[in-house]
Amino acid sequence: MAEHEPKGSLLQFAPMQSSVDEGFWHRLSSLKLNKLGIDDSPIPITGFYAPCSHSQVSNHLTLLAESLPSESSEASLAPEPSRGNRNRCSVPGILYNTNTVESFHALDKHNLLKEEARKIWDDIQTGKAVEDSAVLSRFLLISFADLKKWNFHYWFAFPALMLDPPANVVNLKPASQWLSLEEAESLSTACNEWRSSRSTADVPFFLVSIDSNSRATVRHLKDWEACQSDAQKILFGFYDPCHLPNNPGWPLRNFLALISARWNLKTVQFFCYRENRGFADMGLSIIGEALITVPQGWRDNIPNAVGWELNKGRKISRCIRLAQSMDPTRLAVSAA
Amino acid sequence: MVLSQKLHEAFKGTVERITGPRTVSAFKEKGVLSVSEFVIAGDNLVAKCPTWSWESGEPSKRKPYLPPEKQFLITRNVPCLRRAASVEEEYEASGGEVLIDNEDNDGWLATHGKPKETRSDEDEDLPSMESLEISKKNSIQPINSYMGGEEEDDIPDMAEFEEVDNIIETDPSTYLVAHEPDDDNILRTRTYDVSITYDKYYQTPRIWLTGYDESRMLLQPELVLEDVSQDHARKTVTIEDHPHLPGKHASVHPCRHGAVMKKIIDVLMSRGVEPEVDKYLFLFLKFMASVIPTIEYDYTMDFDLGSSSH
Repeated sequence: MAEHEPKGSLLQFAPMQSSVDEGFWHRLSSLKLNKLGIDDSPIPITGFYAPCSHSQVSNHLTLLAESLPSESSEASLAPEPSRGNRNRCSVPGILYNTNTVESFHALDKHNLLKEEARKIWDDIQTGKAVEDSAVLSRFLLISFADLKKWNFHYWFAFPALMLDPPANVVNLKPASQWLSLEEAESLSTACNEWRSSRSTADVPFFLVSIDSNSRATVRHLKDWEACQSDAQKILFGFYDPCHLPNNPGWPLRNFLALISARWNLKTVQFFCYRENRGFADMGLSIIGEALITVPQGWRDNIPNAVGWELNKGRKISRCIRLAQSMDPTRLAVSAA
Repeated sequence: MVLSQKLHEAFKGTVERITGPRTVSAFKEKGVLSVSEFVIAGDNLVAKCPTWSWESGEPSKRKPYLPPEKQFLITRNVPCLRRAASVEEEYEASGGEVLIDNEDNDGWLATHGKPKETRSDEDEDLPSMESLEISKKNSIQPINSYMGGEEEDDIPDMAEFEEVDNIIETDPSTYLVAHEPDDDNILRTRTYDVSITYDKYYQTPRIWLTGYDESRMLLQPELVLEDVSQDHARKTVTIEDHPHLPGKHASVHPCRHGAVMKKIIDVLMSRGVEPEVDKYLFLFLKFMASVIPTIEYDYTMDFDLGSSSH
């Protein structure tokens, strides 16, 4: 039987892209000057993302001033949680801000990435990722803030656990073609409800169960067992920041690792949820079947991980110069 | 910023501090909004166009007259697929509608058939924002963004680190999105964070733009002016401190907003439509679309502008 099944093509994912708001660097600078000093221990930060909302541009993992802990001394070094904002799904991250450019380059990037990947893997093993799926998109940022010149060197990593061998894909097409008209309409309605409810708006991974009457329901990952009995079809859905018509975005990688490690599925019907102007768009959203062929022992060890962000195709860090808006001398001159 | 502008900002700041916010509605009479009407209109925008959301901004910059969690509105990552200047050239070439400045200084009204100015060849290649006072003053190099890519001499060349770095990532499952734009259209795709604040002095909403290049690196505010209708850029778009966020941002100056909104409301009323205050921001954003024609933010819900009067 297996010989006649379609093998499909290699499933390739569009990497997550970073975007840092100027406010993040302003708060990091003042945190560094007023609170942290030369303490360079890692800081928990929060990134934000949302599903793609335009057919021509992808969304990004965005850092804002609120990504950093507040400066007030009584508050602990943890960012304030913000829940329920549909345009800001929180993702936990960690920041290694070094004191010198040399120590920035000397950071062991291979091991730092491995360390974050291990956290994701642990959360998959313990089931935490099923309860709070945002931890699947955990990220890492290394930086050097040159507060003499107001230059900020930085490099993001979005750790992705690798399936070995990699997954193949078949039947990838827009959700509107993959589903029947009734199913697509029902799913659209269900997704809009999920996205407008404060308790679920920022839950980026979910299940879609479609019953024999073409009725679609969006459910939490922890309802997987319950879905088995009453669903005709189960789709594994996630907020896809990517806009490409033929590739899912990066968050699907760790989702597939979770599905494979936890539920041991060989065929996964995934649903890349995308919006147009803030509402579910079944023409932009895509559905496909991932064929997973990892051997039995794959889940006994921590899988390898990849995910350092490229800068214009190259493996180099980025740098932003903010002297114009931050340097007190320049500000004084321009205000004179 | 020129001196008169600075003096005016200082004056405006003082007036804002000593006068209370507007509490009585003058929406139909003057085209302005009270603070509570701004919140009502903002709530409606967020409900109908969910890419917009309320934010609280910098805690130190919070305005006491607005709810802490509803200080301003923002929509992020809005595409801008081409420059406004090129759109205007196309319009002019085809003799289509253009924006003119009339003697009343309204500047917002569209009309037909602006005679194409005769320009010398060398002028055509120069960015028209050159005539802006703001850009005259600053001696900014024409680079595309704050993004250095490590070009300055005093910074070690990152390329030398490229080989020694301990990243060995070969992964067939990574689909590499082309970051090097080879197509002119890709090169021109910028994204914007568009925010709306409440201007207490003018009692109107005010729009702010933060631009990013195609690799999502911050654009210098001066380059944002390429995405502003050039006729407006010369007089109404300025670069100032954002009231709730750090840094300098481009903003459409609100000094004429009340008058123009009043005109729009009058036109609606003359057509027998009774404007409702919760639709104010949709009207306002439609009006803003004439200033920033290529930034594709969301205001396009299907809505009736008000209830029809009988």
